[in-house]
This record gives sequence, structure tokens and C-alpha cells, in this order.
Amino acid sequence: MTNTENAPTLQRFSAPTAARPHRPFSVSRILAITFNTLTELTRLKVFYVLLVFALLLIGSSIFMAQFSFQQEFQILKDVSLGAISIFTSLLAIVATARLLPQDIEDRTVYTILAKPVPRFEYVLGKITGVLLLLAISTLVMSAAFLVVLYLREQAVIHATLRQMAGAPPEQLADALHAIRSSALNIDIFPGIIIIYLKACLLAALTLFVSTFATTNIFTIVVMAFIYFIGHLQATAREYWLQEHSSGLFTRVFLAIVALLFPDLQAFNLVDDIVAGTAISLALFIKTALLGIFYTTIYTLLAAFVFYGKEL
Amino acid sequence: MTDSPRRGRAEADPAVAVHSLTKIFPVPLHPARGIVAVKDLNLRIEPGEVFGLLGPNGSGKSTTLKMILGLVSPTRGRTEIFGRDSRLVESREAVGFLPENPYFYKYLSGEETLRFFGRLCGLRGAHLKERINELLELVGLTRARKRRLGTYSKGMLQRIGLAQALIHDPRLVVLDEPTAGVDPAGSREIRDLILDLKRRGITVLLSSHLLAQAQEICDRVGILADGVLVREGHLRELIAIENQTELVIADASTQLVNEIESVINRSNAKLIERRKSTTTLERLFLEATAKNDEARMSSDEGMTKQT
Repeated sequence: MTNTENAPTLQRFSAPTAARPHRPFSVSRILAITFNTLTELTRLKVFYVLLVFALLLIGSSIFMAQFSFQQEFQILKDVSLGAISIFTSLLAIVATARLLPQDIEDRTVYTILAKPVPRFEYVLGKITGVLLLLAISTLVMSAAFLVVLYLREQAVIHATLRQMAGAPPEQLADALHAIRSSALNIDIFPGIIIIYLKACLLAALTLFVSTFATTNIFTIVVMAFIYFIGHLQATAREYWLQEHSSGLFTRVFLAIVALLFPDLQAFNLVDDIVAGTAISLALFIKTALLGIFYTTIYTLLAAFVFYGKEL
Repeated sequence: MTDSPRRGRAEADPAVAVHSLTKIFPVPLHPARGIVAVKDLNLRIEPGEVFGLLGPNGSGKSTTLKMILGLVSPTRGRTEIFGRDSRLVESREAVGFLPENPYFYKYLSGEETLRFFGRLCGLRGAHLKERINELLELVGLTRARKRRLGTYSKGMLQRIGLAQALIHDPRLVVLDEPTAGVDPAGSREIRDLILDLKRRGITVLLSSHLLAQAQEICDRVGILADGVLVREGHLRELIAIENQTELVIADASTQLVNEIESVINRSNAKLIERRKSTTTLERLFLEATAKNDEARMSSDEGMTKQT
């Protein structure tokens, strides 16, 4: 470029561009933004710090004091699923809070939206990138948890086989069945899916808050309040309805609170899994649909607010 | 880069048409009061022109460009790009935009950045790859294609910004302060690229407060002050002084110059100034730095031969 005479000029290029005609909705445009968002988030140090902390916590639960194998598996499940839940929630809020404000502050949003990209596709691409990151994180943490649980289950089975070498086969079979049913069982998987959907809900809500927030800190603080209110509101609602008359005003007020602050406690199936209570299919579907509903609603609200936003 | 059918389709429409455009930014807590950024602006930019929107900081240049690009909605009035309302997403098919002091994703390399923007414009596969190679060569970043943008200098960022603006072969390129913060050599390169775009028939709309540079490249200019278009027209017409004429003579003897002066004095005309022609400071700077580079290179070659 320093020598103008030798500098290439546009005339030298003869290849026609192959841009396709504009389509009002394009999955490939959304995917371009999705994978760019995923790349952006996976190159953040905070992602790895959170993931390593979660994995360390899951790994360290092996060494926690226990009295029986049931208690050991309970503690392992409690700590691990709790860690997965907290870290995915934290990641959902921290990762999403910066996406839109950072793009606006850095003016990258201008270059993107000055291309033929509708604003709702931009928002959709961003949230899909976060949801993909949360899926990867949940998969990695769940894999670590399941490996730890499986290894402990095998260790307990081997110890039991050694101790009950001379016991009758029926007694041994009962003991092994008791170990297996209290360790790895099918109820863990719907529990993990619900944890993921809760994180998706939080990510969509964070995206919505960030569309009118001016700083990342504001979004994170607001989300911290929503997180705690969301976990406490069910208890508060029950208390309120018991102590006060359930008149129209009360019901409307509670409905507004429920709409603004999602009932996050409804997504807490960890206690049931730890206690060994089977999660019914109806409860799983109801909770999953609630998560998908909230995620969709908050994403649409974020797209709506962003559509009218002055950049 | 041959002329595509879509290029010839709407030649009758102006590249940019601005009709009674007004933008008032509301003041928080005082809805009745508002900051008038642009007031009743009318503008028409023909295809193939280089139009300079000039004005001091805060005069409404960037707001006008953002409204033309559909990034900010006008309070009143409307804007069109090749006959399409700017608020329609498809109007941006024909536009490439380089914002002022652009920041791109630092974690992407130059090549990845162009691929990302190309995909947003619907480019795919071999065509996209080819286009990326062309543009990296055009803006002189072929060697830095794998480097992350976080390591790029300001001039390099400006050049990759220009490359992304051209990725989909737009008919209109909008440049907001394209040479802000760029050194004279980089600034000259961007100027040459703009002239190259003009030769290609691409319309360029740029905002600047570097008047000397705008004078070199713009066909027409509009001057904004406090959101109002106070002057607009062909540059030559705007800056011409009707009753004055300049003669630039090379290799003239003192006797010849004195004779011309005496002819002028005998007539009704008046000689206002007699001076030696000067070069521009920019040209002086570029020549000096280029000579310095050449001297360094020849000394390096001499040392290599000796060794």
C-alpha cells in the first residue's frame, strides 16, 4: 500500500460477487452471528474460570465425609447438581449482560446493522450463541459429574462384593440394587435438562434487561435481584395468600409479580433427585415448557425493545 | 467486480435522497425540551458522485449518516438509498459503511472478520474466499490476515474497516471520518482508494472535518452547522472567487514575469499577489518519508553486498 503505483486497484478484480438476493429471514445470517458470539464468549477468561471452579467443586465432592454410601451419593449429587445449577446461572447472566452494551459501546453494532441484517436476527443470533455456550458448559460439567458418580458407584460395588463374598446371592443382589438405585439413575437427566432450561431463561431475561440498561454492572445487579426474588417469590406468595385475604387486588398484584419475576424455585428439582424421589414425566414436561415459554417471551421482548432502540 | 445487472437497474434513482430530515433527541426528564441534531435537511446525491458532508464536531454529520443507514429513526422526514426507504433492511444491500474509529471484534483475525461480514451479506464458499483475498490485497493486509485485530494499528483497523464495507460490492459507500487518527501516508492510501471507488462508478458519501482532504476528493460538498445545511453544491463552484484568475507558469524568466505584471498594471485589472508556487505539507511529508525509506533500503543493500 505504500507504493501507490503498485497498489492493487478495484479494476484489477473481475470476480463478480455472489451475494444472494435479500431474504427477510435468513438462518445462515443468524448462524453467522451465533458462532461469532460463541467464539467471543469462549475466548473470555471468565468462562474458563467458572468452568474450572465448577469442575473442581464436582471433583472435590468425592472427598467429602460420609457415613454410608447412600449419604455419599446424596452429597455427591447435591454438591454437583448445585454447582452445575449455580455456575450455569452465573455464566448465563455474566456472559449475556455484556453482549449488546459492548457491541454498542464498541460501535461494532453499527457495522453489523449497516449490512442487510434485521435487528431481530441480530438479537436471535446473540441469544442462540449464549444458549449454545450454556449447552456446552452443561454438557462438560454433567459429563464430569457422571464420571465421578460412576467411579464412586463402581468403587462402592467392588467394596460391597469384597465384604459380602460369603453372603447369599439374594442378599448380595439386593445390596447391589440398593447401591445402583441410589447412585446413577435416570432421574438425573431430566434434572440436568431443567437446570439448563433455567439458565436459558436467565440468559434471555438478562438480554432483555440489557436492551435498556446503560452498563453491564446495572444489568448484573438487576439480574442478581431478580435471581433472589425469583427463588423467594413462591414462598412469599404462599405466605401472603395464607395471611391475607385472596381478593382481586392481591391476585392481580401477585400475577404481575409472577410475570415480572419468573418462579425460579419451580426449576429446582435437585432436592427431589437428591432425596431419590422420582421426577414424574408430567412435572418434567410442565417445567420444561415453562422454561421454553419464559425464554421465548423474554427473547421476543428483547428483540422488540432493541428494534426501537436508538443506536 | 464487473458491472452487475443490479448496478444498472436503479441508475435513474439518486444514490441518496434526503427529504426534510429532522432529528430531535429527547432530553431525559424534560420531554418538552429536545436537542435538535439535524433540522429540515434536504439532500440529493447522484450515482457515481463523491459527496462530502462537512462540518464541525456536533454539527449533525454522524446523525445524518446514521439516519441514512437506518440506524437512527428520524423525528420527521425520510431518507432513501437508490429509491428504497432507508428504514427497509433490504436498502442496505447496496451500502457499505465504515463508522468513525471502528472497533471490530478483537478476538477475530482480519480474514475471520471479513468472512463474518461476508456471511452477513449472503456470500458463501469459494466466492467469499476469493472476495476476502481480493480485499485483503486491496487494503494491503494480506500478510496480516491471520493476525488478531487486537494487534492491529489504528491505520490497519481503518483499512480492514474499509475492506468489510466493500465486501458485498456495494453501490454506495458511506465513510464517517475515514481518515480520523490515521497518519499522512495511511490517509493518502485511503484517499487513493476513495478515488479508485469513484473511477469504478461507486458513490461515496463521506463526512469529514479535514477540509483540505475533502477538497482533493469530493465532487460536491454540503456544509452542516448546528444541524442545518448552510452550503451545498459543486466544490469548484463553491470555492471559486468569481472576479479572480490564477495563472501558474513554469520556467518563466524574471523578465517575462515583469512584462506580465506591467501588462496587468496598464489594464484595469489589479495584481493581488505574486509568489512562488508551493507544494503541500502532506506532499512534502510523503516525499521526505519515502526518500528516507529508499535511503535506508539502499544502505541495507550496500551492507548486504559488503558482507
